[in-house]
Amino acid sequence: MNSTKKKTLYAILLLGPLLCIFFTLFTGRYPVSMNAVVQILWSKITFSTCNVDEIYQTVVWDIRMPRAILGALVGGCLAVSGAAFQGLFRNPLVSSGILGVTSGAGFGAALAIILFNATAPIYLFAFAFGGMAVMFSYLIGRVYNTTPTIMLVLGGTIVSSIFSALISFAKYVADPTDELPSIVFWLMGSLASARYQDILIAGIPMLLGIFGLLAVRWRINVLSMGDKEAQTMGLNTQINKGIVIVCATLATAGAVCVSGIIGWVGLVIPHIGRMLVGNDNRVLIPVSLSLGACFIILIDNMARMISGSEIPLGILTSLVGGPFFIYLLKRTKGGGW
Amino acid sequence: METLLAVRNLSFGYNKTDVLTDISFELQRGEILFLLGPNGCGKTTLLDCVLGFLKPRQGEIYLNGNNIKDIKAGQMARQMAYVPQSHEKTFPYTVLDIVLMGRASYVGAFSAPSRQDKAIAEDTLQMLGIYDLKDRPYTQLSGGEGQLVMIARALVQQTELIVMDEPTAHLDFKHEMVIMETIVDLVKKTGISILIASHFPNHAFYFENNQLCCKVALMNEHKFVDLDSPSEVLSEENLRITYDINARLVSCLIDGERQVNQIIPISTFKTKTGSEREN
Repeated sequence: MNSTKKKTLYAILLLGPLLCIFFTLFTGRYPVSMNAVVQILWSKITFSTCNVDEIYQTVVWDIRMPRAILGALVGGCLAVSGAAFQGLFRNPLVSSGILGVTSGAGFGAALAIILFNATAPIYLFAFAFGGMAVMFSYLIGRVYNTTPTIMLVLGGTIVSSIFSALISFAKYVADPTDELPSIVFWLMGSLASARYQDILIAGIPMLLGIFGLLAVRWRINVLSMGDKEAQTMGLNTQINKGIVIVCATLATAGAVCVSGIIGWVGLVIPHIGRMLVGNDNRVLIPVSLSLGACFIILIDNMARMISGSEIPLGILTSLVGGPFFIYLLKRTKGGGW
Repeated sequence: METLLAVRNLSFGYNKTDVLTDISFELQRGEILFLLGPNGCGKTTLLDCVLGFLKPRQGEIYLNGNNIKDIKAGQMARQMAYVPQSHEKTFPYTVLDIVLMGRASYVGAFSAPSRQDKAIAEDTLQMLGIYDLKDRPYTQLSGGEGQLVMIARALVQQTELIVMDEPTAHLDFKHEMVIMETIVDLVKKTGISILIASHFPNHAFYFENNQLCCKVALMNEHKFVDLDSPSEVLSEENLRITYDINARLVSCLIDGERQVNQIIPISTFKTKTGSEREN
């Protein structure tokens, strides 16, 4: 890829999510004119006073804006860690939840709903249990001071299944009138509760994870050659694998703890990226980031607009994304697989 | 000549089974060491010890005078490269991307290969005559082309030693020759040293016939049986002892000037033929 082509690509990657966010600001059940949106944005950016009606300001700046930003972060995180894990585990069927972070976070959230039924502990528990699940998987996969890929995947599968069972148990003991519905809704994923303070808190691990993975993205290529070859090419496989796992876990756990479980993105968005730009992680990781962000913002718009009550995100991602994926698959003939 | 690789009294085993017992050898600069032996004699294990994947039970391995235990992966990759026997292809990277990965030990932790790295990779592809393949997905290459790509990836590491594990396995006649000629060319042009594990005694003769400095280490039952030049080691007697086969050494003049040695397997030492055994 030559440098002008590269610059164009990166410009598109950056503009895509920004356009999607902008589009979000004037879509929804409460109609706001494009003109008003621009005025509100201008006044917020320049800290000047705004003569648009207060209610429009709240809808655009305090409700739609944080939701779109959070959606972008969540989508980007899930897609980017999925892409990184696919490379690391040398397996295109791996998703961001392969080491158990999603099921762990799900159980953490369920537990917090039963114990406290308040938002702050849910975030905390989801994040902590997500991280803990990955740590267990890593410890299970560790043999003779090394972590063979296949053992890590096995560890992840076992830990995931244990936490899935625990989630079922939590549902079973939960109060069916209020706790059980909250657990079920949380597990289906939503951005409905997005506020700026959520972005500030959960954004830290998410951004750390994203920038970490962006920084090591070329090394993921080398790691995908397998431990033996990566080592003979000069990588300390233990440390490099550790960095990728920690970054992907920070990103995914940060995303899941605010959004609940949103499937599909961490598995399929990287593949759409592979079909569009190929498998070199130098390009694939930024592309996945941008695609994931756009995808979740757009899906979340649909979730808000389709019916009177919101449809959970986890349902729409597959329903809408699936046919699109099939279309791309036919169109690109799978991109060299 | 300078010693590049020295292995002293190396033993290795899994739990109670011994795989290597008391192996010692030295590899000099510009020399080819040819590991030959029956399946399961420990060739690949020996390579894995030398490459640092397996920790020896006893003995030491020195690379450029330093114990490999004390060499970090990044440093090691600049002194010794590896061409795997069977590379498991996962993602359809382009050939150039694959070859660039060989530059990993020269690229900073958080960066990607530079323009210089790319130039080195392209030069190497040119040298091996596979520059035209550079944008092809390497999953679509034939076995021979794929092996040349693996050699290119090892070459861009710019090491003095390349370890090859059966580089011509599964290749057809022509591509086997292409790989062998490539190796001979490399050694002649760059003075690189090669540690190679193989199942083809005639490849050792090929190196010798091309006037390269080649030593054969004949392995059997976890030990070196013999270690010397191909014409010394690859005798009818030695092949009978190691492989239990009846072989003939032939020698002929090619184009009236070049002496070419080959060893030809004739038969196994069967006490009974198949049909007799059934009766």
